[in-house]
Amino acid sequence: MLRRLHGSLLIAVAAIWLVPSYLVVVNSFTAPDDYSGPSWWFESFEFLSNLQVAFETAAIGQAMWNSFLYSAGAGALAVLIAAMASFAVVIMPVKHPALWFWAIYAGTLLPLQVFLSPLFNGYAASSLYDTQYGMLLIYTTIAIPFAFFVIRNYMTTAPKEMMEAAQLDGAGWIMMFLRIHLPLARGALIAAFLFQFLATWNDLLFGITLSTSPNVRPLMAALGELNGQYAGLGPPVILAAGIVASLPTVILFLSFQRFFVGALRLAP
Amino acid sequence: MTTSTVTPRTDASSRNAAPRGADAGRRTGKRRRAATRGWLALFLAPAVALVSLVLFLPFIATVYRSFFSDNGLSRTWVGLQNYMTLMDDPNFDRSLLNTAIWTVGTLLLPVLLGLLIAVGTNNVGWGRVARFAVILPYALSGATTAILWNFMLATDGAINDMFGTFGLDTLQQEWLLEWPMNTIVMIIATTWQATGAAMILFLVGLQSIPSETIEAGRLDGATGLRMLVSVILPQLRPITVVVVGMSLVASLKTFDIVWLLTKGGPGTESETLALTMYRETFTLSRYGYGAAVAVILTIIVLTASWIYLRRQLRTTT
Repeated sequence: MLRRLHGSLLIAVAAIWLVPSYLVVVNSFTAPDDYSGPSWWFESFEFLSNLQVAFETAAIGQAMWNSFLYSAGAGALAVLIAAMASFAVVIMPVKHPALWFWAIYAGTLLPLQVFLSPLFNGYAASSLYDTQYGMLLIYTTIAIPFAFFVIRNYMTTAPKEMMEAAQLDGAGWIMMFLRIHLPLARGALIAAFLFQFLATWNDLLFGITLSTSPNVRPLMAALGELNGQYAGLGPPVILAAGIVASLPTVILFLSFQRFFVGALRLAP
Repeated sequence: MTTSTVTPRTDASSRNAAPRGADAGRRTGKRRRAATRGWLALFLAPAVALVSLVLFLPFIATVYRSFFSDNGLSRTWVGLQNYMTLMDDPNFDRSLLNTAIWTVGTLLLPVLLGLLIAVGTNNVGWGRVARFAVILPYALSGATTAILWNFMLATDGAINDMFGTFGLDTLQQEWLLEWPMNTIVMIIATTWQATGAAMILFLVGLQSIPSETIEAGRLDGATGLRMLVSVILPQLRPITVVVVGMSLVASLKTFDIVWLLTKGGPGTESETLALTMYRETFTLSRYGYGAAVAVILTIIVLTASWIYLRRQLRTTT
């Protein structure tokens, strides 16, 4: 009796959670002309033409490419830079390692809002505003502190013998970094990359503040603009765009769940 | 890999086996240390330079700017005037209140639900399905979550439609157009999105409880709720600190969902601190005032993080 109650409770939870997603999928297939309020079953199968409208109205295709560029580029750059800094702080004989740790890690504790306005002014003054380089710069930098935290934690668990090999000089350091410590920290590097890829892909704030033209704008900013035309375009178009915009991260997340759990446990 | 492990060994052994003149040794040691310092700088510089230039410098600029009256064209030093004005600004009071509601709401709902679902689905046949349903939205962005819930909550949206179908017309509402209802439903939307993260972490915590502990509890006659409260929950304390800290900081920074669902409206009624800062700065061009809001938000976030980081350090050591 108790077990059956438990079972039906679980099914209820799953159903409640799935209803919004289900409705979104169903209604994204309705042709805008057929749409007369939310429907519980497929009215028509116009998903692709809805998507086409979205792509034409808000340049969603270009925005997806931009976001892919930023997410992959900033993720890879941030992980490399963070790994170098972790190596310096953990393996190399640095003075005041705690000081350097906080000088990098503290960046992740501040709310994004505190950077926005001076960044906007600085970007405008240095003609980085509304450029792909500018977006790559901010996404890379904002990703460094947390990537550094994850990789540094991992490197501190490196076996002691590795530390003793730290008696070489010159090009020795870079070889040691590339041949020993980078491969050893592979798991942490992948976790940090995936986490930052997802964070960049999902960013709205920097997108709407530091870019405006369709050639530069990331995906979430474009989606925001599309959502502003909710009444004119009709819900099916917006929902179709929302589904396609989230597919990459949903697939990534579900395939690498284990890595995300690892990074999540350390998130500030 | 082999070459790099061999090189240092021959280097070290040759130094030990055949010591050169003390003078030469000191000189190479000095050169070696200088080279190491150079490499150290090279490894640290990119991270430190980027974080300083792109994050810390703007942060300092914001703090500095909060002491000015600044409309983008001219600025005058006003000391703490912006902060004084904030204290008397009813919009700011509402913004603070909303931020507090968000904090309490997202601490209660996703954390509690995450815990309950984790405990309820752990080692249960049907659990996987429920867990999958709950975890799925976590991969969605704030913007996509907003699009989805806009569809649900719009006046002609799915929820009102559902109530209409079941003859519950009295329950139909303008969900997003009245405060505090709009803030509450946006918290529920965030709960839908964020519970998965809390749940995963609690599951990790649950699975790391040694089975002997559960067995011992069972032998002592603990079952059901007793087992949960006196055996399982104490074991989950370290992971709970992580989940609570994560939800706390995330709720203080809430922006995307509110920005896309209500723009902080109607008027400024559903604004959180993050939105107030954005509107004052980028819509009204009151840069000094907006900076003061950002500084207050920073103080609140840092205090929350500090309390949580300190507690986390205490529980892990």
